[in-house]
Amino acid sequence: MTLTRLVVAAVLAMSAVAMATDGATDETVPAPRDTQAASVVRGGIVYRTYCVLCHGAEGRGDGRAAKMYTPKPANLTESPFNDVYKELIIRRGGTGVGRSAYMPPWGDELSDEQIHDLVSFLRELRKTGQPAG
Amino acid sequence: MNSRIRFLVPALMLLSTALPVHADNHTVSQVKKSFSVPVVKAKIGDTIEFRNDDDFAHNVFSLSDSQSFDLGSYKKGEVRSVKLATEGVIEVECAIHPDMKMKIEVKK
Repeated sequence: MTLTRLVVAAVLAMSAVAMATDGATDETVPAPRDTQAASVVRGGIVYRTYCVLCHGAEGRGDGRAAKMYTPKPANLTESPFNDVYKELIIRRGGTGVGRSAYMPPWGDELSDEQIHDLVSFLRELRKTGQPAG
Repeated sequence: MNSRIRFLVPALMLLSTALPVHADNHTVSQVKKSFSVPVVKAKIGDTIEFRNDDDFAHNVFSLSDSQSFDLGSYKKGEVRSVKLATEGVIEVECAIHPDMKMKIEVKK
């Protein structure tokens, strides 16, 4: 008798958990991982970690290391380059594309996703003139 | 005799200032995204050699007031060096790896 009660209680508990789980699934908003907005936000994190030193918080080429360099780091709010070329500069560095040697190559340091996100962030920065994220 | 000593003393003093102070080389390795030592104690005229022992590039630089420099980006096995020119503390970083930091304490 006691065993039966235990089994019934266990079955009821499992049903309750299953129902709760189903409910949660129905109400869950899809993770924004693959949206453009999320890519820009992630790219902002990459930018503030690796790029801000030279290009500055606002992307205007006035980071704290900029004083050492001639030519100055690029003002990314006015960049004339398309996404493909930006990705190339990021991966290969300035030397790899015949530009300033002060721009390091990031291809070994950043993942493909990070570079993609960074380009998304830079596209938004160019469009709005303000860093997003 | 007396005049010889009078001549020798300033000559020796001049010579002692003209003789170069022995300069040392200090090697700092970059391995596993870290500098091999947190602090190097050195003197003016010494050279610090930064050797990349990682499989990826490093870019060592300093923005310190006493001496700023940028050694550019360099790959595994390569060495870049900086000669210490002024007294003070030089804070050294890597442009590619923001967590890498060390100091050089430069005395006269």
